[in-house]
Amino acid sequence: MKVKIIQWHAVASWTWDAQDETCGICRMAFDGCCPDCKLPGDDCPLIWGACNHAFHLHCILKWVNSQTSQAHCPMCRREWQFKG
Amino acid sequence: MEDSHSSLFNLRILDTLTDDQLHEILDSYDAFCNTTQSLLGGAGDLSYGAQFVSHVHTLCKHGLQSLVLDHFLKVLEETFERNGASRFWRHFDPYADFVGLNKNDDINIDEDEIESVLYNALEEISIEKQYQEKCLLILVHALQSFKDQMSEERHNFEAERNYLTSKYQWIVSSVLMTTLPRVFPVILHWYFKRRLEELSTMVDVEFTDDVSPNKDGMDLDEKGKVCNKDGEMDVDECYSDRRFSENSRLVKNIGKVVLDLRSLGFTSMADDAYASAIFLLLKAKVYNVAGDDFRSSVLQSIQSWIQAVPLQFLHALLVYLGDSVSYESTSSGFKSPLAPQPSSFCPGIDTPSEGLVRWKLRLEYFAYETLQDLRIAKLFEIIVDYPESSPAIEDLKLCLEYTGQHSKLVESFISALRYRLLTAGASTNDILHQYVSTIKALRTIDPAGVFLEAVGEPIRDYLKGRRDTIKCIVTMLTDGTGGNSSASGNPGDSLLEELNRDEEIQENIGIDDDFNTDDRQAWLNATRWQPDPVEADPLKGSRNQRKVDILGMIVGIIGSKDQLVHEYRTMLAEKLLNKSDYDIDSEIRTLELLKIHFGESSLQKCEIMLNDLIGSKRVNTNIKATISQPSQTSVEVEDNAISMDKIAATIISSNFWPPIQDEPLNLPEPVNQLLSDYSKRFGEIKTPRKLQWKKSLGTVKLELQFEDRVVQFTVAPVLASIIMKFQDQTSWSSKNLAAAIGIPVDVLNRRIHFWISKGIIAESPGGDSSDHVYTIMENMAETSKNGGGSGNTQELLGGDEEEDRSVASVENQLRKEMTVYEKFILGMLTNFGSMALDRMHNMLKMFCIADPPYDKSLQQLQSFLSGLVSEEKLELRDGVYFLKK
Repeated sequence: MKVKIIQWHAVASWTWDAQDETCGICRMAFDGCCPDCKLPGDDCPLIWGACNHAFHLHCILKWVNSQTSQAHCPMCRREWQFKG
Repeated sequence: MEDSHSSLFNLRILDTLTDDQLHEILDSYDAFCNTTQSLLGGAGDLSYGAQFVSHVHTLCKHGLQSLVLDHFLKVLEETFERNGASRFWRHFDPYADFVGLNKNDDINIDEDEIESVLYNALEEISIEKQYQEKCLLILVHALQSFKDQMSEERHNFEAERNYLTSKYQWIVSSVLMTTLPRVFPVILHWYFKRRLEELSTMVDVEFTDDVSPNKDGMDLDEKGKVCNKDGEMDVDECYSDRRFSENSRLVKNIGKVVLDLRSLGFTSMADDAYASAIFLLLKAKVYNVAGDDFRSSVLQSIQSWIQAVPLQFLHALLVYLGDSVSYESTSSGFKSPLAPQPSSFCPGIDTPSEGLVRWKLRLEYFAYETLQDLRIAKLFEIIVDYPESSPAIEDLKLCLEYTGQHSKLVESFISALRYRLLTAGASTNDILHQYVSTIKALRTIDPAGVFLEAVGEPIRDYLKGRRDTIKCIVTMLTDGTGGNSSASGNPGDSLLEELNRDEEIQENIGIDDDFNTDDRQAWLNATRWQPDPVEADPLKGSRNQRKVDILGMIVGIIGSKDQLVHEYRTMLAEKLLNKSDYDIDSEIRTLELLKIHFGESSLQKCEIMLNDLIGSKRVNTNIKATISQPSQTSVEVEDNAISMDKIAATIISSNFWPPIQDEPLNLPEPVNQLLSDYSKRFGEIKTPRKLQWKKSLGTVKLELQFEDRVVQFTVAPVLASIIMKFQDQTSWSSKNLAAAIGIPVDVLNRRIHFWISKGIIAESPGGDSSDHVYTIMENMAETSKNGGGSGNTQELLGGDEEEDRSVASVENQLRKEMTVYEKFILGMLTNFGSMALDRMHNMLKMFCIADPPYDKSLQQLQSFLSGLVSEEKLELRDGVYFLKK
């Protein structure tokens, strides 16, 4: 007997390849989305800083924009720079 | 007169009497008594008249007029009692046995005989009565002539006569009434019933409209008449004349009987008899026409039958009896809702008399009530086949508008529901369907929904107690076919339909609101306003809030929309995960409709789930476009070629899906390879994201190529892995196979049954008692004895069992979520000893505010606690929970 596969429809879940589970700013799961978004994934991406801390893009942008002077990473207080 | 009066009270007048006078009085009194006796007793012989008159004169001369009258009437009464009444009743003696008979029973005796007996008896007593009336007249004339002699002035002859005649009538009827045998009303009733039936058959033949002839209660000779008439049908003119004369002859016969009876003082009894006969006939007619067919409206035909038969008859009868006084002005005041114009009241009757109008109203009310009772008794069946039975519902509506006995409907229907629907034997689906039909049907009868409220309550309460209610409701909501198609699910019952309708309604409401700003429209609305029915429960809010909304009522059963949404999400997940393509148009549509009804925010997660599917489709195409070239070469090397384009994936955002049951599984190596290629590629496209395969989930379409046949299946990955293991090795022991696939042995034994049942794998006992040996069946001949191998059919996923579901059921989810609190609950009970349910609930609410906050309902807590009780961790006594020692 031979088995010929016509179609294999698999199921997978995606997850951000980050060390942490939740965003340090909004305390929501990375795999979820920030409070302002409705759809996770592409619509609400993560961003890493030079310090290797990850946040929802929207969250950290809000944080950075709210700082008058140079913004710092909310986790480690190092100067915030987006990871190139 | 004054003379005689004064002489009565003036005893001295006796002294003035001479002996001669005394003799004269005594003689003539004796003679008077004799002549009276012979006059009344002598059959029809009036020869004593002259003698009688002279004696009367003599007595009156002496002022003994009252004595004369009293004596005469007394003798008259005695004679009537002897000659009239007793003889009259003797006619009916043979039928005395029928007293006990119910009025509805047929008397099985010679009908013509009893009829002729009635005629003869009436005839005889009438002759007797006429004769006695004649005698009475002689007396009156004698008195009259005496008075004329005595004085010149005219006495009121008429008054005297009327006085005596009415006195005589009293005597007659009281004598008859006191001697009335109990069988007589029965006989009368029977007589009218039979005559009316005869008449109605005659009219029915003519009445060739949609009314079916009432042939049920007919006996042979009447049928014979009908046949005769049918034979004469061709000669229309003379036939109709003949029929008409026959008709009027019949009516005249009846009228004569009624007249005779009336003259005997049986007015009310005769009226009762023919009225009850008419009502019986009408009832039989309604039963006959209405029957068990709910697909046609019968009210109209009953209506026209009433006009054609009983009203015609009554008209003729009333005219014959001379009661028919034209009262056109009042007739309009008695308008019945279905006969709006009195002019077209009855064909052939120009001016309905007041009596006839009364009769018409009585008959119509009776017909409505009968039909209504009939329909109410069958309401359950009517609602079962609701869309087809809507004519019956319409009839019922009209009847109820007329009779106003809505409460009867509610009571009877509720008891029918309790007895027939709300039992353990009825499936939840059926109950829900019936509920929906009930809502729809009662919405027709009562747009305000007052009675629906009352009727729906027991159903709702009952459904609340069922565990699968939510599931059924959600299935009905999402499935066009309305749950399982084997049940009584016709497409009209689907709630999806209702969702669509609801959308339309909401649009219409929007339009209405715009119009409302218009004064004219506002005025129109105001004029259309109707007060709530009296039965309305003031607590249930006003009419506007009570707008009948099927979805609202259904969701009302569940209690909250959150629970419904939760269940819907679970079902949606199950459905989406088992899809082998990305076609989700119908799901999107359903979700949009649900969003309209339940609000966008509550269905956010479901939207993300659908979005995942759309995204997966995009990613899938992307990945395949970039990966196909290199992979082709690498896989070509292998024997069982499977290329990347065979692979598809649903990529989910697991945070937004209900908990997914993923079991470890070793996929076949080539597939595993491809999947890791796939996820690598995904990582490249969507950095920095990665995929985690849920290997046991998904669907696999595969083709088994045997030596002699090819079979296609669509199965779960675990089944595909199992069968693929048999490519290299035709026989496996269960332990080895389980180890190779990476699942527990018991799971393997359970799952492999799918292939065994298909006749592809055979099971035989292995060396070890717990071990089995599975062998592939290569030939059709081998498999035929297993009865499997249904050719090229596409089989559905092997597994309806609870464990095979890819998504944990709601109960299991709840269980998992609640176990967090188990420690807390046990701790509480250790501290407090015993606690009641709501106290526990409050404690949990108060103290479990940290992650994860306690957000369960009292019912959920209760069901979890009862789970703990069944695990013998807790004990429940008198509504208080204890720790089990």
